[in-house]
Amino acid sequence: MDSTACAALAHRALGDRLVCFFLDTGFMREGEVEEVVRLLESLGLPLQTLRVRDRFMDSLRGKTDAESKRLAFRETFYTILGEAVKGAGCEILIQGTIAPDWIETSGGIKTQHNVLEQLGVNTKDRFGFRLLEPLLDLYKDQVRAVARHLGVKEASERQPFPGPGLLVRCIGEVKKAKLESLRRATTIVEKHLVSLPSPPKQYLAAIVEDDRSPAGSELEGALKKVIPAGRAFYLKGLATGVKGDDRAYGKILLITRGPPDPSDQFGLPEKMIHADRGIVRVLYALPGPRNRGDYVVIVRAVETRDFMTVKPSVIPPNVLRPIALGILKDERVSVVAYDLTSKPPATVEFE
Amino acid sequence: MNIPVVFMGGQYNHLIVRALKELGVESRLIPPSTPLEALKVDGLIMGGGPRSVSDGLEKFGAMPGVIRGCPSPLLGICLSHQLIGKVMGGEVVKGRLPEYGKTVIRVIDEDDILRGIGPRFTAWASHNDEVQKNHGNFAILADSEYCGVEALKVDGRAVYGVQFHVEVADTPMGKHILRNFISLYRS
Repeated sequence: MDSTACAALAHRALGDRLVCFFLDTGFMREGEVEEVVRLLESLGLPLQTLRVRDRFMDSLRGKTDAESKRLAFRETFYTILGEAVKGAGCEILIQGTIAPDWIETSGGIKTQHNVLEQLGVNTKDRFGFRLLEPLLDLYKDQVRAVARHLGVKEASERQPFPGPGLLVRCIGEVKKAKLESLRRATTIVEKHLVSLPSPPKQYLAAIVEDDRSPAGSELEGALKKVIPAGRAFYLKGLATGVKGDDRAYGKILLITRGPPDPSDQFGLPEKMIHADRGIVRVLYALPGPRNRGDYVVIVRAVETRDFMTVKPSVIPPNVLRPIALGILKDERVSVVAYDLTSKPPATVEFE
Repeated sequence: MNIPVVFMGGQYNHLIVRALKELGVESRLIPPSTPLEALKVDGLIMGGGPRSVSDGLEKFGAMPGVIRGCPSPLLGICLSHQLIGKVMGGEVVKGRLPEYGKTVIRVIDEDDILRGIGPRFTAWASHNDEVQKNHGNFAILADSEYCGVEALKVDGRAVYGVQFHVEVADTPMGKHILRNFISLYRS
């Protein structure tokens, strides 16, 4: 959304002197590469699509830590862009970095892939181009207003999707089968939630290994005061969050055997964090058949103006049920859970 | 009207500038090294940040001096609320039950800054430390279930602190509080 608005703005300023690059990283959603190409070409933008999936996958192999993954993505991203800029004979790279990107990156919460100068990186020396970032002062809702003003209506209404894409929703190491299950689950979540009368401001799926350990008696004691039959487990994967303006990279707690409506439990994360400060996310298992699969799929839907703070969306159980059942048809998935966590202490994306 | 925002490194400092501009006030981020003499302003807001007041006041540039001597209305948010509490003789400690996200603020004394909002309102907070009650030259204007000092006013001066974030969209009454702060200068 930000990149498209930025490209439309740059096209208006520069006309034929502009070249647009779209990186097919391998972390796009189902059908998204074709969709983005169609959208950008319909705006009359001179587009070059770079098919670079293998280079990203190679740079990420064996990496499990969220920041290592983000840094590897950024490095590959700009190495490829540097080559493309040079090949096209350009001197300046214009990119759609917006306020939350540099605020979160320079605040050390997470390294957004599109922030360089604010970290003191000299892009001319390092990658061979000067940077222009016209949207730097704006938030998502303001970028939508810019896109509407420029007459790119379809772009202004597009669901936000992060630059590193499914990579930051594939918690821990990226593997081919895990990514396939995530892509399939993403399609199901989006299909059901976009058709609600008032869709959440953001809605997505994430995936993590179903490797559980019991959360211990203190935490279960705190849980049972709220949900008497509930059980609590730590998953092995870690998630990114923000607590008191500091980065948090911590535990994901999975609550099982609760009543069916997660929106009754939005106060739970605070109580769980008071019992264990290392927790960053609290997930709530949705009812469904028990599979023997390897992965937990997480459904996240949030309400927000500007993505700096968010609260979980109220999604009725009768909407969540077919989502869970649809995702559980994938035999690699053992359980589908709803994310109860606001921002702070979590972030919108998982890594 | 000109109310700059001291950038203390927090996630929402730039959102304070956005909120002030939306209220028709001229604003920009300024560094905490800015000395009191360089501030020719109608009011000043100091943002939140990742540091702890327990790290020592020397970590906060010229801001302790600005808090002591600022002649115009001053509002400190989150970390800067704690800094005001500390500079005014209070104690800042690691909270036993930290708040991240939604909290319910209970108004004790609305004063000028919380006028027309109470007795309770929803706010977003994100803090590990908190100002202790029963110390310091300030009055407690609000608290919450988990935090004893959610808002304070320095005795005899238009210097305020709020532990929660008035500048984020998830604090629905935040703009109202900022408007109250702006009208301190106008009155």
